[in-house]
Amino acid sequence: MNIRKAVITAAGRAQRTLPLQTLVDRDGQTKAALTIIIEEILQAGIEQIGVVICPGDQKPFATAAGPHAERLQFIEQTSPLGYGHAVQCAHEFTGSEPFLLLVGDHLYVARGPKSCAKQLVEIATAESCVVSAVQATHESKLPYYGTVGARRLQGKAGLYQVDQVVEKPTPTVAEQKLIVPGLRAGNYLCFFGMHVLTASVMDTLDTSVRSAGRTGGVQLSAALAKTASRERYLAAELAGRRYDIGVKYGLLTAQLALAISSTDRDEVLAHLVELLAQK
Amino acid sequence: MSFMPGRLVQIITSPDAAVRNQSLDAICRAASRDELLAEADELESLRARSENLYERVRALFFLYAIHRFHLPLKPGVNARSLISFHGYSHLLQRRFEEAITTFLKAQSADGPSDAISSALAVAYYKLAIQTLADQVRRSVRSVRGNQWMFRMGHPADHPLRLRPDLLARDGDGAYPILCERTPVRMDLTHCGWSDIFFLGMDYPEGAKVLNVSIDLGVRGRDAGTRPPIESYLRVIDEPLLRLTSVDLGATADITYLADVFDFAKDYLGLLKAAVIASGIVPPGVEGSGQSLAELLALVVGPGRGLELVSNVNGIPKGSRLAVSTNLLASLIALCMRATGQAASLRDGLSEEERRLVLARAVLGEWLGGSGGGWQDSGGVWPGMKLIEGVLAAEGDPEFGISRGRLMPQHRILDHTEASPAMRSKLQDSLVLVHGGMAQNVGPILEMVTEKYLLRSESEWQARLSMFAILEEILAALRGGDIAAIGDATTRNFSGPIQSIIPWATNLFTETIISRVRAEFGKNFLGFWMLGGMSGGGMGFIFDPAHKARGQSRLQEIMSQAKSELEHALPFAMEPVVYEFAINERGTWAEWLPAGAAALPERYHALKKPVRPRNGADATRTGGGAESLAAQLQRFGFDRAQHEQIRADLIAGRIGLAQNRLPASTQIEDVRESDLRDATRGTEKSFRETGLSSLSRGEVAVVTLAAGAGSRWTQGAGTVKALHPFCKLGGKHRTFVEVHLAKSRRIGKLCCTPLPHVFTTGYLSHEPTRQFLEREKFYGYGGPLFLSEGRSVGLRLIPTERDLRFMWEEMPQQMLDEQQQKVRESLRHALIGWACAAGEAGDYTDNVPWQCLHPVGHWFEIPNLLRNGTLARLLEQRPQLKHLLLHNVDTVGADVDPAILGLHIELGACLSFEMITRRIEDRGGGLARVNGRPRIIEGLAMPQEEDEFNLSYYNSMTSWIDLDKLLAVFQLTRAELTNEEKVSAAVRTLAAKMPTYITLKDVKKRWGHGQEDVFPVAQFEKLWSDMTALPEVDCKFIVVPRLRGQQLKDQSQLDGWLRDGSAAHVESLCAWE
Repeated sequence: MNIRKAVITAAGRAQRTLPLQTLVDRDGQTKAALTIIIEEILQAGIEQIGVVICPGDQKPFATAAGPHAERLQFIEQTSPLGYGHAVQCAHEFTGSEPFLLLVGDHLYVARGPKSCAKQLVEIATAESCVVSAVQATHESKLPYYGTVGARRLQGKAGLYQVDQVVEKPTPTVAEQKLIVPGLRAGNYLCFFGMHVLTASVMDTLDTSVRSAGRTGGVQLSAALAKTASRERYLAAELAGRRYDIGVKYGLLTAQLALAISSTDRDEVLAHLVELLAQK
Repeated sequence: MSFMPGRLVQIITSPDAAVRNQSLDAICRAASRDELLAEADELESLRARSENLYERVRALFFLYAIHRFHLPLKPGVNARSLISFHGYSHLLQRRFEEAITTFLKAQSADGPSDAISSALAVAYYKLAIQTLADQVRRSVRSVRGNQWMFRMGHPADHPLRLRPDLLARDGDGAYPILCERTPVRMDLTHCGWSDIFFLGMDYPEGAKVLNVSIDLGVRGRDAGTRPPIESYLRVIDEPLLRLTSVDLGATADITYLADVFDFAKDYLGLLKAAVIASGIVPPGVEGSGQSLAELLALVVGPGRGLELVSNVNGIPKGSRLAVSTNLLASLIALCMRATGQAASLRDGLSEEERRLVLARAVLGEWLGGSGGGWQDSGGVWPGMKLIEGVLAAEGDPEFGISRGRLMPQHRILDHTEASPAMRSKLQDSLVLVHGGMAQNVGPILEMVTEKYLLRSESEWQARLSMFAILEEILAALRGGDIAAIGDATTRNFSGPIQSIIPWATNLFTETIISRVRAEFGKNFLGFWMLGGMSGGGMGFIFDPAHKARGQSRLQEIMSQAKSELEHALPFAMEPVVYEFAINERGTWAEWLPAGAAALPERYHALKKPVRPRNGADATRTGGGAESLAAQLQRFGFDRAQHEQIRADLIAGRIGLAQNRLPASTQIEDVRESDLRDATRGTEKSFRETGLSSLSRGEVAVVTLAAGAGSRWTQGAGTVKALHPFCKLGGKHRTFVEVHLAKSRRIGKLCCTPLPHVFTTGYLSHEPTRQFLEREKFYGYGGPLFLSEGRSVGLRLIPTERDLRFMWEEMPQQMLDEQQQKVRESLRHALIGWACAAGEAGDYTDNVPWQCLHPVGHWFEIPNLLRNGTLARLLEQRPQLKHLLLHNVDTVGADVDPAILGLHIELGACLSFEMITRRIEDRGGGLARVNGRPRIIEGLAMPQEEDEFNLSYYNSMTSWIDLDKLLAVFQLTRAELTNEEKVSAAVRTLAAKMPTYITLKDVKKRWGHGQEDVFPVAQFEKLWSDMTALPEVDCKFIVVPRLRGQQLKDQSQLDGWLRDGSAAHVESLCAWE
């Protein structure tokens, strides 16, 4: 499997300005969140990037992408028919190729030198199938994420065979269907906001979009659930963490995470200690 | 039979079902004392080493049975022994293992005894039931889908969110309403109570029921049938939980998290259990001290809350149709839908969701301190279904612990198994009724468990035979043969059901069945018992052409039978005939238009936000102050004395603490020389003396039957003497009939009819008179008198001081953890009620006869003098010299000529009969009090532990030398007709007798078969205190236990029937 393309979704009505927020990245440079995401993708060896946006958002996004703007292909989601629809809008861009999918309101901080996107692309390339990045997440956060039910792959640390996918499950459903052996009690594998998808997933989304018509509500999780029943579909725990910049204090937390893993770590920690001491 | 220790262990551990299903009784009957003790040692060692839950539990039940039914009967076992207070305290605190260790040590040190065996039997039994309950609880918690609720300890971690659809306001700003309608369930086969969790988890192959979801209507009241249960949910713009039970007329706004877990504070316990078991307020947050508003902010949204409304369509409690469990399930299903735990906000549920509702309902019942069977949520499923136990397999939480799973499987019958025509036929033939009786089926379920685990011979055979009956019913359903169903359910009721639990039937049920059968002949196709006991919900199957007449006649027949028996048996309401229809949808949800108009009509009448539990509300009672006043006047109520008691009570001069003798009182066990032992027979001459006296007509019997028998029916206010408590000699017999049958036999023996007096009180006189007239005095040939009570008291609202003394200072049996929580919540509410209603105020908020009280059995002898009964008796029998006085519940007491002879030889004024003590014999005994032998009441014991140093318990049977007693009253026979003198004599002696304050339970009935139990204060003087008067010469005789034991509580009946006591009583009776 050769992954050359990536798609960033940024068309959500409530999230459309988030990629435009400015942060200081791990190199101490001030950048838009979108730029940080693009650089994450580029590190993974991706050549072409499609960004799904609301109609009219192209200009601010191009500005935010700075030097990378020319690499981007903007795709407009003309009507909000669900997250699955947003992804499906990029079908023409992805064609029949596998591609890396990221959400525009998440930032990732890898534990080592290899970016999260690169880790995922390498796994998908090696395994040659659909792979979703996942993170063990406490059940209190289930209302925010798609969650998978999966089995560990023997001899492959951090890799799981996915059996089920449920979007924002209740803990009741999670406990009945989504328990993964080896996780701590009350923890489930929730989506990380990063996937490698194939054309078959896009085909499934096409069908869903057609059947939903104008009523919408097309979910990527539902398409992935079908994928799990039809073909080999893996989940991968990556060496890194995701930060949702759309939640309360999400941007701040993401900034702190970036800062304390950056060259400015000591300076930032000193500021924090000072703040705490004043308190 | 040669005996090798370990045979009982083999029965438990054998892999061979035929060995496992052997009965313990046969082996124990053949064993000697030492062989039984050796078996008990082996069982003790098995239960200590076994990892298997059911081996341990069965060993515990075997040990219980050995000590309860077998060991005490073996030669070489002492009757008399002391029970350690230390061990008893362990029992009260539910430290059963420690109690067993203490009692076993005593047995090793002093040898086996009846007393220690009684203590061991209780400890083993309670430990067995506790072990089973703990396992069910663990299994409920470990059901997947339930576990997270116990992990969640802080509102900030709450993972549930309300479905956004419920937050979408309409044009007027109102939130939509989600409504769940749920049928109830009936059990078409009666399953031999095989849906008890314990049974299903050990014997899943034997756990089978045929369960039908039904809609109901009350005949003559409702236009048609509909799902009787409705529950509603909507969002409100206040950060609280608003709970309303329309049928109970209760509503409350709950703002504190702790109040959600306070189940007995109001009548909303079931709604609270649903809120918890559905995960909206998960059980894990109990005691977290967190804010309910914060929790609701996360689940519903900031500043918002939820309103939950339940409504049961006037279906009375005790219908045996699992109304409360299905209501709980309905509320849980509703809350699960609202929070996305069930996929759909409309229509039915998936099988997976229904199973989760079942698991959550089990959890909810446990939280509320109650518990039904596993078929009870059957209304959630549609139509007719076979519910069966399932063997635990690898991966199940129960695997390796119990043979069966906690949760059964449901198979919905299709139209090949029960065709639409057959279903209609069933509806056209079956008449469902509620007989109106109030019953507590809790003890029945424990009995069933015990008998199953003991594999008692006849009970086990009965259980096996029920499978064939189930198959017959299934075949009849396939074949469309209603008559065959009627035949099978009737045989089931008269055969296996009553073999397992004789108490499943009663005189009321049998009266109705026989009258229906007599009237309808072959058109009456059969009787069908529902649920735990008969007398409440029941089914009668008629030829379809006669169903309408059957319905109307059943209403009349039941009402007639009730009016004949309403003083003998506890009824909660008038009998009801239902209309019913099979519900083919199961629980079903729908959206209702926003706005309060969608809620039940009576919802709007509940304007007052809070109706606290047990709050005073005269509108709910049938009583009125005027009729109470009239009754007080009629019964000669002494207002001056009443006011004095109230003043003393308020001032703290009398009360529970003041009942006690001073702490410096010396209480010691009596010496051998203080009493005569008649347990091993008496000298022949005594019997001859007694017989001669009887032949000369010198003896009469006085049965004390004026009390309210509070413990017998938990304060239901029925007449205990008239209770047809047991089948003896082939039919149900009342206490009165049993006592007359004993007197009849003695009369025949000595060829002189024995006069028999029943004392009565305000509650029992008229009913007893009418009952005896209707029964033609049971054909009794001797003189028969009713001695009408002349004293009555007015109950008082208890003081907080006395309530706290009873509940906090006196030793109490702790309940299982969750039940104890509920009890404490209830007690808190009751203290609140007493304070709000006015401590020591008159208790008038009930029907009049529940506000009055008898004033203690001491007065019943003076009443004989005052009301002229003794004078009339002496007119007929001037030669009368001796009276046998006994309690109505001392069913083994008779005029035994040998004991009469002993009494005559002793020559005392009063000879009291004592028995050796068992652990259940609480309430005083025979003691040397400051060196003088006398009977001391439990109420008067300076310290609880003193009672455990006393070997003998008072049977309350005493022999009276009439002339000597009259001398104590300073009266002569001739003066008995001088009313003034007699009254003065009684007053003088009464002044010397101590007055005790007691708290008794009294039931208050309201709504549709609802009952509340209140503790009320009353005073009494007790006959046994005559032994404390120095001028009364008293002697004490030890008699066999079978003669002296009393039946105080209906839960004693089963053991009484099985341990030979009933057979002994039968041997004393001549029924004709």
